[in-house]
Amino acid sequence: MILAITDVNVVKEAWWLYAIGAFVTLFIISGSLFFAYKAYQRSKELGMPKEHVRKAVVSSVSFSILPSIGIFIGVITMSGLLGIPLPWIRLSVLGALHYELLAVNNAAEGIMASSMTIQDFVTIAFTMTIAIIWGALFTLFMFKKYQKSVVDKATEKKGRTFGPLLFQSVFIGLVAAYFGDAFSRIFGYNVREIVDGAYTGNSTTQYSFVPLIVFVVSFMAMMGFDWLVKEKKVKWLENFQLTFSMILGMTVAVLLGLGGIY
Amino acid sequence: MQDLYREKMHTYGRIFIVMGILVMFLAPTLVWITTGIAPNWARLGAGVFTLSIIFLPGGLIEMMTYSPILGTSATYLAFITGNLVNLKVPCVMNATEICGTKINTPENEVVATVSVAFSSITTVLIITLGVILLIPLRPILNSTVLQPAFNWVISALFGALGYKYFRHNWKLVIAPMVIIIALSLAMPTFVNGNVTILIPVMAILTVLISLFMFKKKWI
Repeated sequence: MILAITDVNVVKEAWWLYAIGAFVTLFIISGSLFFAYKAYQRSKELGMPKEHVRKAVVSSVSFSILPSIGIFIGVITMSGLLGIPLPWIRLSVLGALHYELLAVNNAAEGIMASSMTIQDFVTIAFTMTIAIIWGALFTLFMFKKYQKSVVDKATEKKGRTFGPLLFQSVFIGLVAAYFGDAFSRIFGYNVREIVDGAYTGNSTTQYSFVPLIVFVVSFMAMMGFDWLVKEKKVKWLENFQLTFSMILGMTVAVLLGLGGIY
Repeated sequence: MQDLYREKMHTYGRIFIVMGILVMFLAPTLVWITTGIAPNWARLGAGVFTLSIIFLPGGLIEMMTYSPILGTSATYLAFITGNLVNLKVPCVMNATEICGTKINTPENEVVATVSVAFSSITTVLIITLGVILLIPLRPILNSTVLQPAFNWVISALFGALGYKYFRHNWKLVIAPMVIIIALSLAMPTFVNGNVTILIPVMAILTVLISLFMFKKKWI
């Protein structure tokens, strides 16, 4: 059945797109609960203390709140061009804000909210969906083999092995890259202009030491909280120390902003 | 026992990935069917091609880098729910650190799965709540006062997490930090404009340096 919808603004905010958004949300929640339940059963088989599962739940929920608000701001950023439901769906399933903005830029170069057609909207929606699928496909077809042939071998050796160091090194490389991201902004970073939720192609160079300060404050805060947990035995803090450290770092950014330093 | 459980999780995980991919295509397909207007194939092809130059190798590297950290079920879950590097991976790193579990053990599999599952639920609930409360929330979240906080949320995240990993391994930290500081001084806009490329590069470099130090018995 083909309905005669010709106004892109009607499509962008159509009730059935919202219904898909709700469906996607339910799908993610159901899938997550299914795997969490299987893991919980497994923890009982393994005789793991219930405390471990509880700690994993509490720390993960508290940790995820702030970055999730950041992701939601991405929905607002893109809503000018794409309406609410499509960014909602895209950032709920296999989404990441920088990727979505890039995808919009590629599929809709030069398109503004005022000049967008339904064909532009469909093209953007498909581009955003198809191009991000690679990680999921590699996981589908290659992960099992990779786990057996590489991961198991790296972790199964006994005695003095490089296995644990290998993964710690990956973490450290990851953190170092993000330190570089914060530190390098002192010497300049390009801000790409976003109009109606898509890159326009114009950019300006800005300088900021705020991210480095945020990084260092969060680092020091974590050190302080860790001392409280380990030395002063403030056990309840353990699950929240990461969240509190982030809040402190972000608060410093807000305070600097109030002082005119961005 | 471990193998049997893992086999089952691979099967469930693969089913979940296929279902997830189908769910992803619901929105664009329904727009196409409902309006009767197909995408512009030339622009779609060009857009997918350009993005895939980055995201095809990126997808492979992400799977290879993060799956050992995440374990079996959490890998499948995270590769459908997304936001890996900015949320799921650090979330698991934090949970395993708190619970003291080791990579590729049955206990770590449990902790990582629960962690990614509840992180995913938190994210979709917050986004959904945000959509419902959009009208009152938009001015607050877009306010110039709060903007710096969310601009630098990733720096806050990795600063806090960094302490946990730097504390135990200070010998491993020196070389990557020297490299990244030198790179930041030499080409700052490359560093902060290409952090997704820089992550695997720094990860591989750190692994190679650690391997060298391990062989020399310095660590």
